[in-house]
Amino acid sequence: MAGMTRRQVLKSAGVAAAVTTSPWWRVGKSAAQRAKKLVFWHLPNFTPLADELQKQQVYEFAKQAGLKEADVEYAVVAGEQAQQKLAAAIEAGNPPDVMRLYESNVQFYASGGHLLDVNDLVDKMRREPKGIFESALSSVIYKGRAMGVPLAVNPWPVHARLDLLEQAKVEYPKTWDEFIETSKKIQSPPRLFAFGMCLGLVEDTTDNVMNLLWCYGGKMVEADNKTVVMNSPENAAGVKVIEAMFKTHKIIPPGAISWDNSGNNKAYQSKQAAFVMNPTSIYAYLDGNDKDLQKVTGLMPVPAGPKGAINQIDTWAYGAFKKAPYPELAKGLLEYFMQPAHYDKIIQSTGGRWVPVYKRLFDSPFWKEKPAFKHFIKMAETGVPVSYAGSPTPAAGEVLNTHLIPKMIQRVLVDNWEAARALDECHKRIVEVYARYARG
Amino acid sequence: MRSVSGTRRLLRWIGNGLLVVLLVWTLVPFYWMVATSLKKDKEIYGFEATLVPRQPTLANYTRLFAATPFTKYVRNSTIIACSTTILSLVFGCLGAYALARLRFPGRNLIARGLVFTYLVPPALLFIPLFTVISTLRLVDTHQGLILTYLSFSVPFCTWLLMGYFRSVPLELEEAALVDGCTRLGSLVRVILPMSLPALAVVAFFSFTQSWNEFLYANVFVNSVEVRTITTGLTLFVVEDVFFWGPMMGASFLSALPPLVLYLIFQRWVVKGLTLGAVKG
Repeated sequence: MAGMTRRQVLKSAGVAAAVTTSPWWRVGKSAAQRAKKLVFWHLPNFTPLADELQKQQVYEFAKQAGLKEADVEYAVVAGEQAQQKLAAAIEAGNPPDVMRLYESNVQFYASGGHLLDVNDLVDKMRREPKGIFESALSSVIYKGRAMGVPLAVNPWPVHARLDLLEQAKVEYPKTWDEFIETSKKIQSPPRLFAFGMCLGLVEDTTDNVMNLLWCYGGKMVEADNKTVVMNSPENAAGVKVIEAMFKTHKIIPPGAISWDNSGNNKAYQSKQAAFVMNPTSIYAYLDGNDKDLQKVTGLMPVPAGPKGAINQIDTWAYGAFKKAPYPELAKGLLEYFMQPAHYDKIIQSTGGRWVPVYKRLFDSPFWKEKPAFKHFIKMAETGVPVSYAGSPTPAAGEVLNTHLIPKMIQRVLVDNWEAARALDECHKRIVEVYARYARG
Repeated sequence: MRSVSGTRRLLRWIGNGLLVVLLVWTLVPFYWMVATSLKKDKEIYGFEATLVPRQPTLANYTRLFAATPFTKYVRNSTIIACSTTILSLVFGCLGAYALARLRFPGRNLIARGLVFTYLVPPALLFIPLFTVISTLRLVDTHQGLILTYLSFSVPFCTWLLMGYFRSVPLELEEAALVDGCTRLGSLVRVILPMSLPALAVVAFFSFTQSWNEFLYANVFVNSVEVRTITTGLTLFVVEDVFFWGPMMGASFLSALPPLVLYLIFQRWVVKGLTLGAVKG
């Protein structure tokens, strides 16, 4: 390398760049080459039974559609790495026919024009007896059209150690004030902290923090999806409560500020936290790994603040991709999945991990007999997405993915900023994000 | 004299101390991986971190082999890593010989281009490369991954071997040519036997790079039949729950082949790396 002139370096770099990026010219040409087959990317469920049933249904549908087994490509894709894979497949014009998407991703891919309109199918679902939980639709409706099929409502209950409440002879708290008092009674730090609130620079922190702020009247953005209201006095009141829980009452473990998304799971599963706000992935894990702890775990509604108790939900949905060359297969598979009889099998096999979108499925003994599920209907009916009062738009997705709210709470808890100052900074950043998306 | 030997002794102590730190730094994660793989979930998640498993169990390994397609992942990684290694050696040797010994237009440009190509980060390349692989209908095949891995292993191998081949005295090769050897014959009979340390480095590098590669394997492979260990490991994370026991077991087992390979070829690898450092 020594002795190279600037011209030689530039020439070499130019050749290397041209060679390595030339495949871009071929972008978009590979989709048409795909032979007729059904491509389904599967994100693993918690139970092997659910995975198996899902696979069976894909093959059953393919058979009905006149495809042979060899014409089905059923790929198991790890959740964390799915986005890279999907990005490459879309750019190459070769996405799967159908894949499960998290709520803000439906909006993201819909805004990029990548998803098939499935409004007719969602309308059909709504016409089922008792209909579907309308709360599940906010994530799949883009510009008035359903661009994804809501697969399940994913509530965020408080996983609560009922045995500890019983030992301390206290009831599950109805308000956040009671929650703090109860917490002090049942915890015994450093082995057991009461509240495993996620406070690291991760998505779960946004979920946990916003859920508490809603109970104090706070929110991130108004329902118009334009007006950011992060610097409101209501949000400041909520942030001060979190600050007091962490610094004054010390009911949150100090290590929570460095947790990743699995931190609160681990804290609860290892009996180091008595309460955590999380989807029922913890409950589902306990089902297979710690039945004793599962027996004493309640899935409770969030305590109320001055403005009531608001529970978070998020929605997983199926997306069918426009660039996939056989849209009739993609939509056919979605319809097959969502037939209530097929659908119910999968949902029940997840052992409570997924809550059905069809209201009438709640009539089954599966949901009625287990006390742990008794709050689920209300949560599914009244739950709101993390972007509340707005929808899970691509802008909201960016706020979630760039951890603006976790950074705000860390300003308060780590840098000792005043709540109002931290919220102000956060507000400005969120305004920038929403303005960028508004400009297109 | 006494003070000089005292200084030497002190330096030796510092050196040994540093080596101990490095040894601990390297071995502790490995030990932790093994220990975790032998623990039950309750112990893994327990309040106190235990250095030695209280009730060692092979349950995680049983689960790994009985309930997951781990053996298929191992098979696939082996096929892909071995094929990449062999092909890298073949192409690397031929390319390096041409660049080191033959005179042709663009030789310097190609030699420098090799380095630049190697320096382009995979995060920039995975989408265009996926398009190439997709157009060639090699998505979800062993061949697709092997072809992709050659794109980073061949440039490095060629570059490293080129420097090494240049150090082999030209006279030896000329003597072979005078005796009737062909170019290919002189490469195989004269240069390669003298370049075994460099070949060991190149083979070791190609193997470990292909064995450990994640991004391309994640993007280009869909089915269990082709999936490699690195991408298989990610299936032990479901949403926000980590199945640490089997994941650590799989990580430990997947770390063994490069380790064994290194131990076998250690002498040559060290020699090759140090020689390569002063040639070029």
